[in-house]
Amino acid sequence: MSYQTTTQFYSHRRQASWNRNQNTVAFVSSVKLGPVAHTALVALMITVLGLVYLTQATRATSYDYEAQKIDSQIADLSTKKSDLEVENARLTALETVQNSNVAKAMTAPAATDYAH
Amino acid sequence: MVIFATRLFYLQIIKHNDYVAQAAAEQIKPLTIPAKRGLIYAMDGTSPVPLVINQTVYTMFADPSTVNEESKVLSTIRQVAGGNLRPNLEDLLSRRESRYQILGTQLTRQQAELIKKQNLTGIGFQEESQRVYPEGSLASQTLGFVNTEGKGQYGIEQSLNDRMTGHDGLLKSVTDVSGVPLTIGNQNINKPAQNGDNIALTIDRNIQAYTEKALAAGLQHSHAPNGSVVVMDPQSGKVLAMANLPTYDPSQYNKVTDASAFDNPIVSTPYEPGSDIKTFTMATGLDKGVVTPDSTYNNTDSIKIGDRTITNATKGQTGNITFQHALNYSLNTGFVTVEERLGDGTDINDQSRNTMYDYFHNHFGFAQNTGIEVAGEAPGIIIPPTSADGNAVRYSNMAFGQGLDITMIQVASGFSALVNGGTYYQPTVVGGTVDDSGNLNPAPLKAPRRGVITAATSATIHDMIHTARQAFYAKQDKAGYDIGGKTGTSQTLVNGQYVDNQTVATYLGYGGDVTSAKYVIMVQVSGPGLNLQGNLDALPIFTNVSNWLIDYLKLQPKG
Repeated sequence: MSYQTTTQFYSHRRQASWNRNQNTVAFVSSVKLGPVAHTALVALMITVLGLVYLTQATRATSYDYEAQKIDSQIADLSTKKSDLEVENARLTALETVQNSNVAKAMTAPAATDYAH
Repeated sequence: MVIFATRLFYLQIIKHNDYVAQAAAEQIKPLTIPAKRGLIYAMDGTSPVPLVINQTVYTMFADPSTVNEESKVLSTIRQVAGGNLRPNLEDLLSRRESRYQILGTQLTRQQAELIKKQNLTGIGFQEESQRVYPEGSLASQTLGFVNTEGKGQYGIEQSLNDRMTGHDGLLKSVTDVSGVPLTIGNQNINKPAQNGDNIALTIDRNIQAYTEKALAAGLQHSHAPNGSVVVMDPQSGKVLAMANLPTYDPSQYNKVTDASAFDNPIVSTPYEPGSDIKTFTMATGLDKGVVTPDSTYNNTDSIKIGDRTITNATKGQTGNITFQHALNYSLNTGFVTVEERLGDGTDINDQSRNTMYDYFHNHFGFAQNTGIEVAGEAPGIIIPPTSADGNAVRYSNMAFGQGLDITMIQVASGFSALVNGGTYYQPTVVGGTVDDSGNLNPAPLKAPRRGVITAATSATIHDMIHTARQAFYAKQDKAGYDIGGKTGTSQTLVNGQYVDNQTVATYLGYGGDVTSAKYVIMVQVSGPGLNLQGNLDALPIFTNVSNWLIDYLKLQPKG
């Protein structure tokens, strides 16, 4: 049994290059824009970009105000927490505890048992 | 067109930096973020409790030129903040030429908010932080206070001022017209404030409170104006209480007329402690092996040193007696004899003076700052033997606690080493720091000096001090505990002469269970023109505190 081997040879480089890019489509628009339209489009793009920038900047600033509000709330809560800590310290001070009704109702133990 | 372009070039290129700087100066504002001053805690057993905390208060001011409803302003602020207002409000508001008049101080947040709600034109508030003392004047001379400039004065507030102050933060940012910081710009700086350390003292507030009450009762009994008590843990050097009278209220420090009330005499006022120092002289003799408790000497109630004759306050215990006997009766002659035996046995020579100086100064830490974290510590003085004044007479006096100026904290710290096995712990009032959640982070222990006397010497002097107390005052102590102590009654110098009619009473002792000494207490009572006695005026205060401490520390009796 014999086999026939087929080998393709290209005659030159240009033919090889063409084969690799054989799906390439060259599009040519049928609409033609003049210089005024070009300028208007560029101006429009710049305007859109400007609006995008302004939107972002405004949004960032609005976040700043939100952050400021939250900071104020934190500061306010922190002050309230400090006030409560002061009140707690006063209520648990020795003098206050000793003068409390609970302390006044206490009695001294008659005897103490020690675990040896 | 060329002129226009040139002008634009000049403004935008050449003057660029100038205008950027001007804009930045207007738009970028540096705002200081104030650091909070650290709080001070005491211990309640093992839990930290606040002694000094910060509270935001408000100063209310008026711009009289813009106040237009004077009667409404007056009625509102009087109703809300009557106790915090200046007495002459009508007069202050009538000063129309002025733009700033303080109407009230130290208003609480609630008071300020109630007044703000009324939208009173021309009334404003200034926020500030002030120190608050929930326990009143408790341990005030250990705490100190913070002055109007925010700087710590006296006590812990002064000595640890840097640690407690913290570091202010900085917010540098573009702001809007009302000063709200914005994130736009690339020169913003946000450096958070670093708050000061919250300090936890070793002071136990219950021991401190009881000690202050016991001292006040003792002084009332003795009709004496001045007194101090220090309570220490001899096994660590931690100060558990430091009480002094007279004292002051740190929240009213500006009303104190005598600045000496701010001092803590326990660390800042050296004095001649008297006979309690005999325990140190005896320990020195024991440690050098020249005496034992049972060694004897011939007591004639007087002893001649140079051209001076030293006598005993208690007479009649004459003959060959032991040094334990001399300690029990606090006989000066016995301890001058110990001092002599540190030399050649017959005289106070260079060797005996050098030995005593070495032990008193280098071993026990007398006449040098202990390093305790309370401002104003004074070292006192012991005249060295190399000085002309450091002669035999001087050193014979030092043997029974006269002729040297040392502080109570030095004596109590040295005494702790006598009764704890011979280890000197540097006294401290700082137990650690407290984090924002209220957890205690203990401070690292300072390296102790071991072997200032041998363990055997410590055990012997421990027993001698116990015996000295039990000889006369055993019935005053709770049964089953190891309590020891020594009285001191020291003459004072008036116009350069020692006088007998103005004496300082001292008592120095320890208490513990069968295992070890658990506390050391030193008491001092004094007053101008008063003849005070250690056993009558200082000892009862020791006994009172000691018996209470046994229960508080839950010490178990023998048996």
